[in-house]
Amino acid sequence: MFESLNDPVDVLTAFTGGSMEPLRFRWRGRVVRVKQVTGRWSRREGQALLRFFAVEGAADDSYELCYDPRGPRWLLSRAWTGGPQAAG
Amino acid sequence: MTLPFDPEPAEPVGGPAAAAAVVPPKPPRHGAILLVDMDAFFASVEQSLHPHLRGRPVIVCGDPSRRGVVTAASYEARPSGVHAGMPLQEARRLCPHAEYVEGNPEKYVELSLELLDLYFTHTPDVEPFSVDEAFLGLAPRDTLADGLERARRIQAQIDERFALGASIGIGPNKLVAKMAAGLRKPRGLTLLDVAGFRDAFWPLDVQELWGVGPKLAARMRELGIATIGDLAHAPEPALAGAYGVIGPQLREAARGHDATPLVPSYEAVDPKSMGHEVTLERDSGDAAQLESVLLRLCDQVARRLRKEGFVGRVVAVRLRDSSFTTRIRQRALAGHSDRAERLFEVARALFRDHWHGGPLRLLGVSVSALAPSPDSVQTDLFADGGRADRLLEALDHVRDKLGEVAVVPAATLRRAKRGLRHVPFGAMASRVRQAPPDDGGA
Repeated sequence: MFESLNDPVDVLTAFTGGSMEPLRFRWRGRVVRVKQVTGRWSRREGQALLRFFAVEGAADDSYELCYDPRGPRWLLSRAWTGGPQAAG
Repeated sequence: MTLPFDPEPAEPVGGPAAAAAVVPPKPPRHGAILLVDMDAFFASVEQSLHPHLRGRPVIVCGDPSRRGVVTAASYEARPSGVHAGMPLQEARRLCPHAEYVEGNPEKYVELSLELLDLYFTHTPDVEPFSVDEAFLGLAPRDTLADGLERARRIQAQIDERFALGASIGIGPNKLVAKMAAGLRKPRGLTLLDVAGFRDAFWPLDVQELWGVGPKLAARMRELGIATIGDLAHAPEPALAGAYGVIGPQLREAARGHDATPLVPSYEAVDPKSMGHEVTLERDSGDAAQLESVLLRLCDQVARRLRKEGFVGRVVAVRLRDSSFTTRIRQRALAGHSDRAERLFEVARALFRDHWHGGPLRLLGVSVSALAPSPDSVQTDLFADGGRADRLLEALDHVRDKLGEVAVVPAATLRRAKRGLRHVPFGAMASRVRQAPPDDGGA
């Protein structure tokens, strides 16, 4: 299931060719290596432009990271943990 | 009562009046029109972004831990009977093993804009029709067969670049293209000329015609019009008598004729209305709570009107109760306005007049009869030296700088945090308009 988190995370980031890309991040005591960035989008909150990245981990796990320039800081907004989904 | 049928559809297009016209008809602006319809768009985007979801039933909704309705269901979920608009509770019963994913409008709008960029490489005449549909007009020299070839390339590019499926209809006008796109899904490519349209659609129920809803279809059936073919052969005077000006127009549509122009985004027309609605966390019969939600909705609509430079004249309130019965009531303001308090006065009056007192599931507010906002809108008959205007300007400035939740009406504070996260798809149209395309190769 997807968990909505918004956990602050440390992200190793590459800034290349005028764009940024998360390479790996530390979450719940382990390092997740980003295998592939599968999508990007953004959301404006006031003057701040939040940048979102859908990423796939090396273990076929799946996450959504958010770069908030107001910190600046990274947040792990969602993670797919693979478990069953709780009924609402 | 049943109608006598016209044995042959009248030609040329437009009926006797058009036949008698002395002015030759304008040549069509486009040789072929394509309607690109993304397959199960929201669910497919989630599958595209998260590869582990591919091949699995995915249901996009609001917060899955709360109640609401299905926004989109992937093709893997549809055999279970799940469809958009179904209450989430029912979807969970039908498809308990699906992945329930909270939808994210910004994500879909972003992808939609990238898709438009792709379409612009094929033609400058692109009309975004919704977040997941767009009409493309090809040059007058292009034939329908050229349109099919173009559609095949677009479909392949969408698959290659975005890992998404699209169904494309190709036709001589928007109506035929739109209905052709719905014939074969997912990943369908359907070319129809007018004769093909008649072959495909005349045997079908009249409600299958684009623009005919369940109520209109029921009225048509009472007149003996059961199929699209029946409508195509119905006598024009009888249709005009039963349905007014729309009757003959519907008959033309049933014959595969449609003169509606494709409006490219660089010539985009202004919106006709703006609105917001919300499904409540649980059904509520608490008048104070419901009015607080109405105030928040009015605030959101007014803010959007100001952002996009419009004022509105007619306020409509939408109330849906626990039995899914929906009532829409509207009333005109004394004058155009983009102020939340003006909208709320009318919305609240409508609510108090038409709410039956029982629990409500959904509330909505919309404003229509829009006009461009004048430079200076007089907001108060008793002038206050412009203080109210300056205050509103300052509050808008704070929201522009710090975000929508930086300032909210005090009466809505309990529920504002989550509700104001909503981002309307309407934002897409204005973003497209800001960036006219380069001339393409149509």
